[in-house]
Amino acid sequence: MWLRSIFLKTLRDYRVAILGWGIGMGLVVISPMASVAALVTTPQARHQLISLAATFAWNADPVAVDTIGGYATFKIGIFIFLIALWPLLAGSRMLRGEEDRGSLDVLLSLPRPRLSVALEKLAAMWTALFVMGVLIGLLAFAGGKKFGGDFGLGDALFYGLNLALICAVIGSLALLISQFTQEQGPAAGWTAGLLLVFIVLDMVHRVVPNSDWISRLSPIYYYNLSKPLVPSYGVNAGAMVLLLALAAVIAGSAVWLFVRRDVGGTVPLPRWLRLPERNVSRALPVGDWSLGSVYARSLGMIAMPAFWWTLGTAAFAGWMVYAVQLIETKLATLLSGSPAFTSLIKNLGGGDVSVNAGFLSAMFFFLPLFVMAFAVTQVNRWSADEQDGRLELVLATPQPRPAVLLGRFAALATATVAISVITLIASAGAAAAAGLNVDSGHLAAATLGVIPLGLLIAAIGYLAAGWLRTAADTGLLSFLLAAWFFISFIGPELKLPDATLRLSAFYYYGTPLLHGLQLTSVLGVLVVTAVALGLGALRFANKDIGV
Amino acid sequence: MAAIIEVEKLTKSYGGKRGIADVSLQVEEGEVFGFLGPNGAGKTTTIRLLMALLHADSGTARIAGLDCWKESVAIKRLIGYIPGEPALDPNLTGGQILEYFAHLRGGVDQSYLEQLIQRFDLDTSRKFRQYSTGNKRKVVLIQAFMHRPRLLILDEPTSGLDPLNQQEFDRMVKDVRDEGRTVFLSSHVLSEVEKTCTRVGIIRDGSLVRIGGMAEVSAIKRYEITITFADPVPVETFKTLDGVAEVESLNHGHGVRLAMQGPADAVIKAAARYPVVSLTSHEPSLEDIFLRYYQADGAPAKEPQSVA
Repeated sequence: MWLRSIFLKTLRDYRVAILGWGIGMGLVVISPMASVAALVTTPQARHQLISLAATFAWNADPVAVDTIGGYATFKIGIFIFLIALWPLLAGSRMLRGEEDRGSLDVLLSLPRPRLSVALEKLAAMWTALFVMGVLIGLLAFAGGKKFGGDFGLGDALFYGLNLALICAVIGSLALLISQFTQEQGPAAGWTAGLLLVFIVLDMVHRVVPNSDWISRLSPIYYYNLSKPLVPSYGVNAGAMVLLLALAAVIAGSAVWLFVRRDVGGTVPLPRWLRLPERNVSRALPVGDWSLGSVYARSLGMIAMPAFWWTLGTAAFAGWMVYAVQLIETKLATLLSGSPAFTSLIKNLGGGDVSVNAGFLSAMFFFLPLFVMAFAVTQVNRWSADEQDGRLELVLATPQPRPAVLLGRFAALATATVAISVITLIASAGAAAAAGLNVDSGHLAAATLGVIPLGLLIAAIGYLAAGWLRTAADTGLLSFLLAAWFFISFIGPELKLPDATLRLSAFYYYGTPLLHGLQLTSVLGVLVVTAVALGLGALRFANKDIGV
Repeated sequence: MAAIIEVEKLTKSYGGKRGIADVSLQVEEGEVFGFLGPNGAGKTTTIRLLMALLHADSGTARIAGLDCWKESVAIKRLIGYIPGEPALDPNLTGGQILEYFAHLRGGVDQSYLEQLIQRFDLDTSRKFRQYSTGNKRKVVLIQAFMHRPRLLILDEPTSGLDPLNQQEFDRMVKDVRDEGRTVFLSSHVLSEVEKTCTRVGIIRDGSLVRIGGMAEVSAIKRYEITITFADPVPVETFKTLDGVAEVESLNHGHGVRLAMQGPADAVIKAAARYPVVSLTSHEPSLEDIFLRYYQADGAPAKEPQSVA
């Protein structure tokens, strides 16, 4: 049945994404609902939560944040970027991805108009988004029921529909941009850049008075005009219709261009927008630093992702250091009125939560998580390179196998150190700018202390890659990361035994912002890393490649 | 001449699946050795064992007297390699890829590298992902030849190349041979093997079924003679003659098509008794030999009886 039409076949291709993304994003919406009750146990705490949310108005409109639906809507805020990732990728891949693979040529050889092929694929993407929206709505409704929300099923479904509509706009935009790019990657990149611009434009009116006209240029603004999980605020039907119309116009333009251009080609840009004609060249690159060795090439490969991860991690740490001083009073009131939140911060921060350093220490708990997640992405790349045969010709050169693996690991270690050092510089700068008195030695310990943990998960990943295929290796590392995080995040509340808590790598990170690094813990992590890396290199030296 | 490749009872299986079993062969220094076999026969497994990308279950493989597994790094200084399904970093340009591999090999003669780029007319400024199949193949070919290796191990090297570039490849293999270097070449393109190789080995279902010089392999070949007569001739005249494997009557007895295995002397003498209009003889290609060895039952094909 699923292979009877292009529409059904495309929908079938989306089935895992529909379930995975729909349920995953539904859980993202539910998660903040669980914490509202713990945050508003006293009128003072409720008042402070509202006040604190107002401080973060740049993130989202702080409407009824002391309610389940309002708090969830507020918390999602700029995380719309995360939710829009799937449509962004799906839109850029829908036609251009198939052209890259050559499969569109076969599809278009069928006695079927090009317009119908494009429309069926587009309809499948929109249907997938709609089903995802329904799933998110149903999960939001279930979350509301569980945690005492005051919104109904219809409100929750409208919430899902609103998300689906903004995602349809972003997906259609990616589809349109892909008509102008030779590959799907640049289309996804340009769309992601535009999405960021839209998010920032939408923020403007919440930060700068009388600047609504700027925010109206962003589709995100119209998405935010509806807050169905806040019954008193409700749905802005006009805004939703506008989003639908926008998606239709953008997607229609993309399809119109597609049926008129060469398959495998791009829509010709006006002469003044075109890049200069590239001449045929037979020259060889001379003095390219990234081509000198396996290490240098690995560093060249990792440079761009490391840049973005550094930017994100350093910005997070810097902002936390800067903001903690600004919200000190409100935070103290909120913590004093919320034992559960206090306990959580105490478990993560490891100290007296009445001081800034305690809250900051809790926030810095996320730094090793970011760096370890970065390491997982790079292990995934190593494993995929082997699985896809990209190591075969490298291993046909006189390079010892362990040297190839260690070269890659060394590049990852270099990037990890760079992320940590730049995060330290950003945090120290932010502390100085905010006038926050933080022990510089402890700050260095908190930022540089993430390096051993990043290397640890990478070494485990390289070792596991000796046996597992890419998906299984990445899945194992993601599971390990999630399990460690759960043990350290929730474990103390669940009164897990100390032996269990010690199973988590985060345990050995400790609370360096308050207490500095524990040398024995760091050494222990480094020893385990060295052993795992040594075994990984040994395994790689003796395994069949690409089998 | 000394053997540069020595393989003795080499065996490799993938779990329960067959790879190769007891493959033994020798390739002399300076020869161009063709390695023939259908898909899944074990050509690539043999090559990947020589390249130390796979570890043999048993048996030995040596190149230039060095153990392929234990001394693989030293061996790879001597080898240029083209894999069956080459994959390279899609984000590097052709020029960057060649420069990178030149560095990994400890440097190459840049003027020779530039000469190869000119010979294949390669645009080095495009990213690997943007190349056509043929141009991707050119990059891989150049990286295999650019350091003037003593031994070239090439797995289906011309797949995707246009005829002009195939000719260029043939010339390069000839140059290599003239310089006394060695080529181990697996291929489906039998005409290519016929043109370039001095010896061939045929592998099927993981076992080497035949190995020898081109002439020796050709000795097992059959050839075809077609004779047209002015008047009908009884087909029985040819059925029992020496060297005749099959007989087919053509054009209501005015002609015969003979599948021959052996000398044609008896056929020529028998045909001379009748008024002959024309006589043509076809040399079989390696394709014919190849197909004979890969008939379904596994053993070399039985010689069929004559049919009329």
